[in-house]
Amino acid sequence: MNFHVPVIQYAEVLPILIVLGAAVLGVLVEAFIPRSLRYVFQVVISLGSILLAFVAVVRLHGTSHVAVEGSVVVDGPTLFLQGTLLLLAIGGVLLIAERGLDTGGSAFTAHAATLPGSEAERTALASGIIQTEVFPLTLFALGGMLLFPAAGDLVTMFVALEVLSLPLYLMSGLARRRRLLSQEAALKYFLLGAFSSAFFLYGSALIYGYAGTVSLSGIREAISSNAGNDLVLLMGVALVTVGLLFKVSAVPFHAWTPDVYQGAPTPVTAFMAACTKVAAFGAILRLFYVGLSGLRWDWRPMLSGVAIVTMVLGVIWALTQTDMKRMLAYSSIAHAGFILTGVVAVNKAGLEGSLFYLAAYGFTTIGAFAIVTLVRDSTGEATHLSQWSGLARRSPLVASTFALFLLAYAGIPLTSGFVAKFAVFAAAYSSGSSALVIVGVLSSAIAAFFYIRVIVLMFFAEPKEDGPTVVVPPIMTTAAITLAASVTLVLGVMPSSVLDLIKSAARFTF
Amino acid sequence: MNTLALSAGLTGAPEAVLFWILAPLIVLAAIGMILVKKAVHSALLLAYIMISLAIFYIAQDAPFLGVVQIVVYTGAVMMLFLFILMLVGVDSADSLVETIRGQRVVALLAGLSLGALLIGALGRSLLGAGIAGGAVGLDQANSGGNVQGLATLLFSRYVWAFEVVSALLITAALGAMVLGHRERPVPRRTQRQLSEDRFREGSELPGAPLPSPGVFSRHNAVDIPALLPDGSPAPTSVSRVIKARGDVLPTAPFELNKESQGEQK
Amino acid sequence: MNPANYLFVSALLFTIGALGVLTRRNSIVIFMCVELMLNAANLAFVTFARIQGNLDGQVIAFFTMVVAACEVVVGLAIIVSIYRSRRSASVDDVNLLKF
Repeated sequence: MNFHVPVIQYAEVLPILIVLGAAVLGVLVEAFIPRSLRYVFQVVISLGSILLAFVAVVRLHGTSHVAVEGSVVVDGPTLFLQGTLLLLAIGGVLLIAERGLDTGGSAFTAHAATLPGSEAERTALASGIIQTEVFPLTLFALGGMLLFPAAGDLVTMFVALEVLSLPLYLMSGLARRRRLLSQEAALKYFLLGAFSSAFFLYGSALIYGYAGTVSLSGIREAISSNAGNDLVLLMGVALVTVGLLFKVSAVPFHAWTPDVYQGAPTPVTAFMAACTKVAAFGAILRLFYVGLSGLRWDWRPMLSGVAIVTMVLGVIWALTQTDMKRMLAYSSIAHAGFILTGVVAVNKAGLEGSLFYLAAYGFTTIGAFAIVTLVRDSTGEATHLSQWSGLARRSPLVASTFALFLLAYAGIPLTSGFVAKFAVFAAAYSSGSSALVIVGVLSSAIAAFFYIRVIVLMFFAEPKEDGPTVVVPPIMTTAAITLAASVTLVLGVMPSSVLDLIKSAARFTF
Repeated sequence: MNTLALSAGLTGAPEAVLFWILAPLIVLAAIGMILVKKAVHSALLLAYIMISLAIFYIAQDAPFLGVVQIVVYTGAVMMLFLFILMLVGVDSADSLVETIRGQRVVALLAGLSLGALLIGALGRSLLGAGIAGGAVGLDQANSGGNVQGLATLLFSRYVWAFEVVSALLITAALGAMVLGHRERPVPRRTQRQLSEDRFREGSELPGAPLPSPGVFSRHNAVDIPALLPDGSPAPTSVSRVIKARGDVLPTAPFELNKESQGEQK
Repeated sequence: MNPANYLFVSALLFTIGALGVLTRRNSIVIFMCVELMLNAANLAFVTFARIQGNLDGQVIAFFTMVVAACEVVVGLAIIVSIYRSRRSASVDDVNLLKF
């Protein structure tokens, strides 16, 4: 029996270990700390661990190594995406921890096991407690997200996919207001997510059957040595792609996005919309650029088609929406299409463009949803578009910040969105997919229409008499919005430092 | 002995017999699972499929996996499904009315085309010179024993995934508690507190226990009230629902009186 | 007999499971069809492990079983909480969120 002891490079997986360890600590807090102190402990543990993990990522700068027996690959793109995820998670946790906005307490329910509308629920809500289990769940999801783009084989990818998804299914169902919608969102997310995970798994079975191994470098070798045009391999790649495209809400597999974004509590939507996309695109980039790069003539046309349909349909569907969260959900579908445009350009410029777009999009999303939590009326958040008219009269600062985020989504110059779109379209053009660029520019123009429509509504329309108020943001939400807005502005006005960082980092190890 | 007589890559006759008996049954059970109306029948068919799959695993040189399939999948996961089905309603059956027109047809077409693609792809690749032409078989991999081979892989090559799965298990336990555990907002009233409440509220029988059923009743029927010693009907002797419906009958026609007592003597 | 016959069975089971997810109304039955798809993938992994001659496929099937068990716990908790609120486990009744 020749068993060789595995070598685990603890320093290289330290960020993931810190976050997961803090999550376990959070669970122990839930078990042993009295209820009145739990909130403080959880917030301190969550924010502290995320900051520590960020320091660990920064210290790993320049590493390029396949770690832990080939399961974790720590290289430039991994570290950049992990750093981005951790910064986005700081914004997300600040929003989740906010207790000063809702008159009852936080955005999360007091006791998830009570029936909506029952006496027990009223008692629980009046007592001022919240389900502080949300914090360890967020940390577990973050741990999975940190592992997803770093996965070195399909098993680690699958496990990371599940680790990041299960807490999100649970958190989507924990809203304080409109609990029926929230539970419905959790059910839809769960059923469709489980369905797509099964596709991912069967696809990896077929790829394993072709290659004899599930490690990405092993698949790469098998493809190059067998001139891989095997049908089994192609079917496997198609099924794995279905599973991954579900996570980024690309068009045939986007049906969960509007319902889940609308039904989940808005802090969870912010965290989900920003971080899941970053992690899932990291996994897509790693799978296609490392494992399947030899098959690029097969998967490029397919992904180009998906990108075109996603951009066009996402933008068209967003035009007809009247609910703010739903409109932002459909716009995030369109942005997934734009990022796919960068993925399809199988060159270094494509990788750099995608990484930059992910960072820019993530911060803009956190900021936009943070502002959605601020516009409230007596029943909670006022998300119908008509309630947002004339918002600038009541609160010019909040309206202008939201306008900044919308302009960044639209890709107007001086915002991060413009630099991101330029990078992605330039990469696509240089790799020869001019059709993608044309469709992309046209979709951006249509998208700009509905973003600017909201800005016009806020600034130039009459406010409703009994309309919503804009709550003065308490310190945590202010911190999250400030972080998002400053990154959006800095990346738009002076992107060169980040662009150089990405240029030096954009090299995959295998 | 059997292995010497086989060409590399093919299975022996006993396994072929096992396969050709069980495989059609598995496929029939799967089709039945999606066609039967009652959810409990689907669950039982799925349990049957899982046990047959365990037999397949044992036949394919994966004895550990076969046992784990029975213990974990059929024994834990399917039992959990059955418990939840009992909770939700054993008789729950799908309605046959379609809410989205044409959805069944589209779904059938999509599913069948997926199946055709998969089977076509597998057939082209495998029945030709492709992969299974040289099925290596697990004799060498299992040379130290199947469990030892699996353990070597699990704790060296896949140790990271193994450790991360623990996060998944903790999340599942935490989630089940969050969604399922109902805490009492106030502590339960003890027997002493209930007794004190009874005395405080000044009811007619604070200290003594209530009479057992039938002591004051005049008739067997549920809609005829019992009479207390002072002749008034006992309020708790007829169910609330019957009282609310107004179906309470008067007791007088059914009372024992002196004449009938005299007659019965 | 070619061991590839197991792969045909696994493809059939996967397809039937996918059809079940798309057609059934009861959320618990839909979830059971997802479990059938995961089992089909497991059968494919074990068969490919035998064809390729290494035990990686069996280890991966083992991981799948653990992951599926966790998913079942979370999923059934969500389904039970929906059932408690609405007294119905049918996905047709889960229709408050619309286009």
